[in-house]
Amino acid sequence: MKKKIALLLCITMTAMGIIGCGNSEESLATKGGSASKQSVVTIWHDGDDSIMQVIENGVNEALESDGILVKFEKKSGLTDQMKLYGNDEANGPDMYLYAHDSLGTFVEMGILAPLTDVIEESDYSDMLPMTIQAGNYKNTQYLLPVYFETLLFLYNKDLWEGEVPSTTEELFSYMESHTDTASGQYALVNQHSTAYNVAPFINGFGGYIINEQSVPGLNDEKTLEAIEYNKKFAALEADGDYNTVNTLFNEGKAAAIIGGPWLIAGIKEAKINYGIKSLSDFTLPNQNALSPYSGVQAIGIMKYAVENKKEALGKVLKEIANPQIGIELALNSGCAPANQISYDYTEVAKDEMIVAMRRTADTAKPMPNVPEMSVMWGPIESLLAAVNKSGQDTKEAASEYQKQAETAIQDMK
Amino acid sequence: MKKKNGTLPWRFSLPSMVLITMIIIFPIAFTLYISFTNMNLYHWDDYRFIGMNNYIRALTKIDSGFLSAIVTTIIWTVLNMVLQIVISFFIALGLNIKGLKLGRLYKTLLMFPWAMPAYISILLWRVGMYNTEYGLLNKFITAIGLPKVEFLSENIPAFFSCMVLNLWMALPFLIMMMDGALQSVDHSYYESAKLDGAGWWARNIYITIPCIWPIIAPAIIMTTFTTFKQFDIIYLLTMQKGSLTGATLNTVITYAYQNAFVSNNYGLSSAVSIVIFGFIIFFSLFINRGIKGENI
Repeated sequence: MKKKIALLLCITMTAMGIIGCGNSEESLATKGGSASKQSVVTIWHDGDDSIMQVIENGVNEALESDGILVKFEKKSGLTDQMKLYGNDEANGPDMYLYAHDSLGTFVEMGILAPLTDVIEESDYSDMLPMTIQAGNYKNTQYLLPVYFETLLFLYNKDLWEGEVPSTTEELFSYMESHTDTASGQYALVNQHSTAYNVAPFINGFGGYIINEQSVPGLNDEKTLEAIEYNKKFAALEADGDYNTVNTLFNEGKAAAIIGGPWLIAGIKEAKINYGIKSLSDFTLPNQNALSPYSGVQAIGIMKYAVENKKEALGKVLKEIANPQIGIELALNSGCAPANQISYDYTEVAKDEMIVAMRRTADTAKPMPNVPEMSVMWGPIESLLAAVNKSGQDTKEAASEYQKQAETAIQDMK
Repeated sequence: MKKKNGTLPWRFSLPSMVLITMIIIFPIAFTLYISFTNMNLYHWDDYRFIGMNNYIRALTKIDSGFLSAIVTTIIWTVLNMVLQIVISFFIALGLNIKGLKLGRLYKTLLMFPWAMPAYISILLWRVGMYNTEYGLLNKFITAIGLPKVEFLSENIPAFFSCMVLNLWMALPFLIMMMDGALQSVDHSYYESAKLDGAGWWARNIYITIPCIWPIIAPAIIMTTFTTFKQFDIIYLLTMQKGSLTGATLNTVITYAYQNAFVSNNYGLSSAVSIVIFGFIIFFSLFINRGIKGENI
């Protein structure tokens, strides 16, 4: 009897293990059932739930009479999830909202449909040119920009002495006279060996990490010039680690920091009396403005969704492109809208951070969206760390990491 | 009777075998299959069989960087294992001294690093110990008037920094195994040896070590593999995306990760994985034979 019970338990355990790995018939049926009553548009994201809630509320309110319901679902590690479900109609999303730099990867995988399959160009003509460029891959527009992020110069008004300079040379002089590395007091901190944070210099000098033809530019003359120029700042900016530089600023040990809007919540919590200046307002010795990268949060459409829900997707996208959504995002979540018209709204125009971001959008460059960029972060950051932290010769290191980048790109194919 | 129970062990172990097949065997077999295809970003759905091409490419990756990674891995494994075995042996001996007060408390405290999730331990050490601004070590160094030290920006200091952390994280396991093994040694051996005039060293060399060896040998093998394929410590301390420290320290696993796994080329990555898998199997056979030989 005992043996029979043990055997039964073993069989049950095995069966449950196997069943657990399978798809739930019920959930699929439910999905189909609700879809027949109203058209549900599922959008995956990997961002802040409260931001998505603003968009979801705005769109659902507007499309209630059309019987369209938008549902945002958070998926951590969205790129990997898209690789798994990007062509799986039963389990995948209808659209996704994510940073634009993974666009090339998704297009090459063949899972995205062009935006113009669903809406007209005129529907997104009010968007900032930089944000439109971000969603364009090989001359086809795939993404509808929603909001964007970029780097800003954030300073502690109680610690900064005098006016914030308008040239990088003046800024460096200020840093030299107001930094004491031994006692841990800094004028400016920056993630000086992180590609995103050094991009304002690289782009400003006319260099590039990777160009549109997917050619790495680590040993490009202009890139080298920028890295060499950044090196002297790096020596006065602590170790450049994300946690270190943020803590230094929030503890009042650094008078300024180069960082994105994502730092603001922590700065407010630390009760820092902060001011904001656009990086576009700093001029390099070559008279160009600093030109940071911008990450554009944008919506892409899955190929299979266009076949079944074209009309609903079109209506949802048109609503998201509405300047009112941009206004709501700016006022409720502190996001810089992609829609230019949203900035005409008085309350939005009063927001110091959003205005600074809007201003930076004029000189900012969208992060490269070619798939090869995904293998460039390693070589460029290794190069920056080698130069700024290990004291390696810039030219020598650039040549080494250029080769590494080229190999990494070859390995993709 | 024998015949009646002939299939019973198989039936009882069936659930485990099904699970092992699903969780371990299937992924390895699927990786092997993928390694013979051109599955990558540009052939996501339309990948096809390409024979040994990926293996040829994987083997061409055995360049100077790979050889240097092998040397680093061997030095890393040998140094860590020697230190772990010696330190844990002496700590375990200390914990077994007769009349030791608060022995349980010491054991609990010594287990602490092992109980902590590795990710948290590593980040705590990175910020709490090695950081130039907030690290405890630099606080001491600057307190005595010396300049700040960047522990993780050069290869040699980074290697030793990683090793210290690895010891901190790995010692509890061996201490626990040795402590358990020591408690199983019959005390009458020591009493006889004492009567024969054997000193402390002689007692440990001729009684303790031979007696505990059969128990600790499997633990040492397991720890050797864990140390050999260590990834987390070196990656999170020195090469985490967005927080590179400047050190270019690479073990076989971090080298393979950097060179094959960030490319979205699943065919090539799978081939590299299979090569490493073969390498580890070979290494394990080698170690097992060595240990069997010693037992004989």
